[in-house]
Amino acid sequence: MLQKKICMLGSFSVGKTSLVRRFVESIFSDAYQTSIGVKVDKKVVRVNNEDVTLVLWDIHGEDVYQKIHMSYLRGMSGYLLVIDGTRRQTLEDALALNQRVTQEVAKVPAILVLNKSDLVDEWEIDSARESELAAAGWTILRTSAKTGASVEQVFSQLAAATLAE
Amino acid sequence: MADQAHRRAPTNQTEENPSANNHAYEELRHLIIAPEQEELAGIQERLDDRARRTQDVSSVVAEAISMRRDQHGERALAQALAPTVQETLRESVRRDPHPLADALFPVMGPAIRKSISEALRGMLESFNEALEHSLSARGIKWRIEALRTGKPFAEIVLMHSLLFRVEQVFLIHRHTGLVLSHVVARQVATQDASMVAGMLSAIQQFVHDSFDSKDQESLDSLNVGELEVWIEEGPGAVLAAVIRGHAPSDYRLTMKETLEEIQQRYSSALENFRGDAAPFLSAEELLTRLLAAQHREPAATKKPRAALATIAILGILVLAYFGYSLYLMYEWSRFLHAVRGQPGITVISYDREGGRYHIQGFRDPLAADPNILLTQAGLDPKNAQFDLAPYYSLDDSIVAQRARQLLHPPDGVTLSENHGELQVEGTASPQWISRVQERAPYIAGVASVDTSHLQNSHLLQLNAPKSAVESVILVFPIGRAGLEPGQENTVAQTQKGIRDIVDKANRLGEQTTVELTGHSDSTGIEGTNMLLSQERADNIRDILIRGGVQPTTLHTRGVGTTQPLRPEDTEENRRLNRSVTFRITFTPTASGN
Repeated sequence: MLQKKICMLGSFSVGKTSLVRRFVESIFSDAYQTSIGVKVDKKVVRVNNEDVTLVLWDIHGEDVYQKIHMSYLRGMSGYLLVIDGTRRQTLEDALALNQRVTQEVAKVPAILVLNKSDLVDEWEIDSARESELAAAGWTILRTSAKTGASVEQVFSQLAAATLAE
Repeated sequence: MADQAHRRAPTNQTEENPSANNHAYEELRHLIIAPEQEELAGIQERLDDRARRTQDVSSVVAEAISMRRDQHGERALAQALAPTVQETLRESVRRDPHPLADALFPVMGPAIRKSISEALRGMLESFNEALEHSLSARGIKWRIEALRTGKPFAEIVLMHSLLFRVEQVFLIHRHTGLVLSHVVARQVATQDASMVAGMLSAIQQFVHDSFDSKDQESLDSLNVGELEVWIEEGPGAVLAAVIRGHAPSDYRLTMKETLEEIQQRYSSALENFRGDAAPFLSAEELLTRLLAAQHREPAATKKPRAALATIAILGILVLAYFGYSLYLMYEWSRFLHAVRGQPGITVISYDREGGRYHIQGFRDPLAADPNILLTQAGLDPKNAQFDLAPYYSLDDSIVAQRARQLLHPPDGVTLSENHGELQVEGTASPQWISRVQERAPYIAGVASVDTSHLQNSHLLQLNAPKSAVESVILVFPIGRAGLEPGQENTVAQTQKGIRDIVDKANRLGEQTTVELTGHSDSTGIEGTNMLLSQERADNIRDILIRGGVQPTTLHTRGVGTTQPLRPEDTEENRRLNRSVTFRITFTPTASGN
């Protein structure tokens, strides 16, 4: 079976962990994330009639207390850049982080995940900005860890992208 | 070559067509070909000029090498360059080793440090375990095992304390942290290998980043309760072994060797890994060997039997030891008893010290040698020390022996001692007899001497006539002191016999005494019988004196019926009891030698 290392990046409390919790296999405690800055989970998706194991490195959100270990990203085949749609700042932080990643680590397929899509009233990212990002080449998906909307799609789409590489 | 051909061609043409048109043609030709020719000349010049050619190649050499590597892989290029690189290094070291040493220093330092610290750690672990186990119940069991097998105790401790089981082995792609191969020992529950491998890589990177370790150093073991995770890192792959218990340090070496083999065998697969672990299926065999080779389960079924056998053997040994000790004690007591009963040896005390017996007492120089007694008893004389002071023993046998040593008895004489009286029996010369009588009382332990059974060898010739006289019985009628008639011849022979004996004895220096004993039968009154018997003896003495026997030789006594010669049951026996008998003794004369 094919395996791919996928990283999940994004600011603190954008819902990365919630995003994976319901949809992936997990054996490690969340405590790892706060202690060593990463927790490894697994997600098997089916792409072109073939199972692909995504080994998900759920990287702790960068904050004042903890920097991202860029070495955790080494060898990844793709990544999810998760932002909280209700907090615009998380998008800007994510884009800044993305720049560092492409410079310091690798240019690999990535998906911009706008999480918390169920909180429509509090949405802070307007469609113009979204179009702008799409124009810049981003694959953008709106998800809701709460309702489960599009979560499966995020993983299978990224898997397909890595296979196409 | 091509250029020369170009040059020759126009020359040939001029020779063939020397006409005026030639000039125009030449001009045309010049117009058409000249730039090319100049270019060709320029190229020629560059090719001929070594300096320029070098300059040309130098500008592309790096790109060429890089392109070559991309096209055909590193191997061909590496093979081509290897001899030169080796030669270069050799030359560099020959000229000046310092630059290379300086370059290698940062690599060698940590490598040497690491190997030394690993060796020390292994040694400390073994030492600690040996200490820890030396006094426990298990330790005692192992000591017995060491005794049984004859192996050093330390080796037994190591053998047991190093019991371990490698439960899982992971082969992890170093760059991505993805699992390439994973093997599990039987009956071991496992978690998802891909996640575990990922997390291991994450932890390793975390440690690497967090503690700012150098490139060569990395996390090489994790402890989780009873489990240890040993990690060996290569350039392309990471080998992780999950071990229950304590693995010996040489297991690390086995891991290293396996990883090296994997690195070598799968170098291109590791480099080109894009998530497909299929090329590493064959590595499972190498990993399984790592699992199996060091899989040492205790042989539980054999142990009770072995322990029972050990206990039995020990029991037998202990019994044998005690049995032998008891036997030795018995032998010793028997020996001591024998020594105590030995004439001429007196044991005052004895004790045992460090397996040696110390015996104190006295010993007559004539007594038996105690060491010989020991040997005869089957005991080792080395185990005994005798401290015996010399003394004179009054033991009968020792006194007899002492007397024999001092008196030198001739053949035919026996000396024996009976409570202070030396008894001398046999036949000896009168000189020796007188020496015995003179000296024997001076011998320690001899109070008196009995020579009554010692015969003067010179008197042997008198034995026959003496017996003849002593066998004579002269008989008397009832109530009369005068001889019965018909005995005149006997009396005459007796007379002559006594005279001869006295004469011969005189010549041999012996004085003869003849005792005449008168007897009576039981008829009549006892008082009368006594007188009658005395009278009978006296009568015979008178007859002998008259026959020429010296009166001083003769002594008489009457015993009446007190010493009858015969029981008076017949008339003949009663007659023999009315008689006179003779007894002859000799004593050396005072002037005799």
